[in-house]
Order: sequence, then structure tokens, then C-alpha cells
Amino acid sequence: MQLADEDLMQLVRRGDAQAFEVVYDRHATAAFSLAYRMTGTRNVAEDVVQEAFLSLWRSGARYDRTRGSVRTWVLGIVHNRAIDALRRSMVHDRRRASDEGIEERFEAPERTDVEAARRDEARDVRQALGTLPPEQCKVIELAYFGGFTHSEIASMLDTPIGTVKGRMRLGLEKLRGQLGGFAEATP
Amino acid sequence: MIGCEHHDSVAAYVLGALPQDEHERFAEHLAGCEACRESAAALTVAADALPLAAVQIAPPPELKGRIMTIIRTEAELLGAAEGRAQAAAAADAMAAAAGDTSAAPARRPWWRRPLLAVRPLHAAAAAVLIAVGIAAGFLLSGGENARTVQGTVLVASAPQARAALELSDKASKLMVSGMPPPPSGKVYQVWLKRPAQDPTPTTALFRVDAQGRADVEIQRGRLKGVEQVLVTAEPDGGSMAPTSDPVIAARTA
Repeated sequence: MQLADEDLMQLVRRGDAQAFEVVYDRHATAAFSLAYRMTGTRNVAEDVVQEAFLSLWRSGARYDRTRGSVRTWVLGIVHNRAIDALRRSMVHDRRRASDEGIEERFEAPERTDVEAARRDEARDVRQALGTLPPEQCKVIELAYFGGFTHSEIASMLDTPIGTVKGRMRLGLEKLRGQLGGFAEATP
Repeated sequence: MIGCEHHDSVAAYVLGALPQDEHERFAEHLAGCEACRESAAALTVAADALPLAAVQIAPPPELKGRIMTIIRTEAELLGAAEGRAQAAAAADAMAAAAGDTSAAPARRPWWRRPLLAVRPLHAAAAAVLIAVGIAAGFLLSGGENARTVQGTVLVASAPQARAALELSDKASKLMVSGMPPPPSGKVYQVWLKRPAQDPTPTTALFRVDAQGRADVEIQRGRLKGVEQVLVTAEPDGGSMAPTSDPVIAARTA
């Protein structure tokens, strides 16, 4: 029987390296994928994931199961670290070029049913994003994956800040509607 | 939500797209605005799904190796510290039961506390201890009886910092690079940790050059019976017992 993430985190909190390893195995692919999507640089993505998981290890006590799943918490840490990395190293400009071809070379294999289910979820989310009006999708991607603030996006797109905020809200509301019964896969 | 002037900031907030000061102000606003809170909760469902839009890419296996090496090292440190803390607590309890209140310590030193309770050296440098370490392992040999072991640097403000031990029959050395200078009026001091013992001080005191480098001879010959080499920042001249948290930890084997 497998322990749930939330139970594993209790062990991690006590310094259990084996429990941490299981948490890592479950979420490393999602974490690395997000970090790579945001930074576009393999080495930076590795640094981001390493920082995020070490932070998780050392701050496990801060995990609060009432505020969401371990996976959401992990990815939140990765997201914040990646934004820090983006703002630190200004890798924005390199991202697009280095993206090319990486998926084919390094795409995660579907080793388990859970991973296959997650791949399906990923496809669903991408499809849902694809149904958004381009201007809404754009501001959401720039904000979430690019780590840009609303004012930076407004300047980039030569659009009023109020319009950018409005597009973010409409886009997220539509996305939520598209995903409907979306639920995270549990290991 | 309708009627709230912060209506359109909710989405930017859950996407992390508000500048830091605005983000903090909005978080305060959320605490008192039920409509915005509900809206944020609803939009967070969508925002939390966004990571999945990234093409799923497997991380390189060596990344896990690097991370797990650090984790296991710290878990061992933690386990050792907890074991010692339990022993100290038992001794305190026995002393208290015997009416000896003088045995109760005001503050337990870091080597007797669980590692996760240890505060980073520079309080101003980081609120969270972010150890950036490198894999412990045997990297090279400078001869049949010489080897180099990588250590773990525990300085949040110096992710580029590296530490290594060079161990041979002739001498045992610590080499660091990218380390920040010790705080004003302090010096780095090397400690030797043997099983079931408190760290013992050495006369190896050092500062770093402009590149954060230093080559420090810990002692001539091998480090017999030493399981870890630790470094702390101490007042000029060094200390007989550590007065601050470790900034470097390196296992000798």
C-alpha cells in the first residue's frame, strides 16, 4: 500500500529521507517540466528544481494540507523559485530559442498509470488553454510561465493595465469552466 | 465581488502577476473581503492547473542523485542531533528529578538541536535556510592515499559557494570558493565532529579572498575518527564551543 503525499509529508517533517525520495519521485517530472517551461534553460531548470525540493525538505513543517495538495504546494514553490531565477538571470530572451526540440528529446516516458493519467490531464489543460481567445491566453501565459507582472505585460503588449487584468480574469474564469471537474491525479 | 474596487486584481493576484508590494497589499485586502476571497478561491482552481500545460519532461537522473545526496547527509545530521538532543533531555530530566536545576540549559546549542531547528547564520541574508550543496563523493585522488570529498555549503546568500575536503596522509585541507566573508568582527572556524561527541575546535581559522576562496590546512596528517568537518563563524580568535550555526558541513567518508 502506498502512503498518501500528506502522510509522507509528516515523515519528511521528521527528517525521513526515504519519504522525501518518494515525494520527489512523484512530483519531480511535473516540477522539472514547469521549471523548464518557465526558464527555457535546462541548467537553470535543474537549479530551480533542486532549490525547490531542498526548500520543501527544510520547510516541510509549513505544509498545510487544508490549503491544498502536496503537488500544488510543490509546484507553487517551483513557480516562485523559477520567477526568482527569471528575474535574477533575465533568461526571458533565451527561452524561446532553447525550447525547440527539447520535448522530443527528453519527454517523460509513461511508466505508470498515474503518469499516463497525468499526461492526459496535461493534454486537457493545454487544450483548454487553446480554446481561450488568444489575447487572454497570451496574458495568462506571460504572467504564469513568463513571471511578468501586469504592468510589464501591459507595456509589452502596449495595452492598458486594466485591460490586461480584465483579460486575465476572463481567461481564468473560462479556463475554470473548461476544466470543469478537473481533479488532480492522486498517486 | 461586484462593487469591490479590487475586482480585476484577483486574477493577477492568483497568477502571481502583481508586483510584490501590491501583492502584499492585496493579500491584506483579501483577509477582509469575502467576495474577493471567494473569487480568488475559484480562480485558483484554474491557476493551479496551469503547470500541467507544460510539456512533461523527465528530469535528468543525476539531478535526483545530487538532491538525495544532500538530503541523506542532512537526514543523518538531523538523526544524530536528535539522538543527542534526546540524550541531553534525558540527562536534564534526571537532573531535574534529582533537584539539580542548575543542569537546565537556557538554550540548547545547534549541535544538540535538530538540524531543522537551526537558524541560518545571517539572519538578514535569508529568512529560510537554503542550503546549496554539492554531492558528497570521492571525486579525485591525488595519489594512492589522497582523495577529495565535496561538502555542503549552508549559506542562503551564496548559492554558488562550494567546499571540498582534501584528505591525505600528509595533511587534511579544506578548500572553499564563492563563500561570503564572515560577518564583521568574526572569522570562520573549522570544527571536527566525532561520533557521539560534541564538535571539537581546531586552530584552523580563516577568512576568504575577493572571490570567496580559501585553502585551509586543518591539520597535518589524517583526520582520525572524524566523521564530519564543520565550519562556523566565530568571534576573532575563535571559540572553544560553537557560537553560531554551521555554514559548511563535509563528511569525511
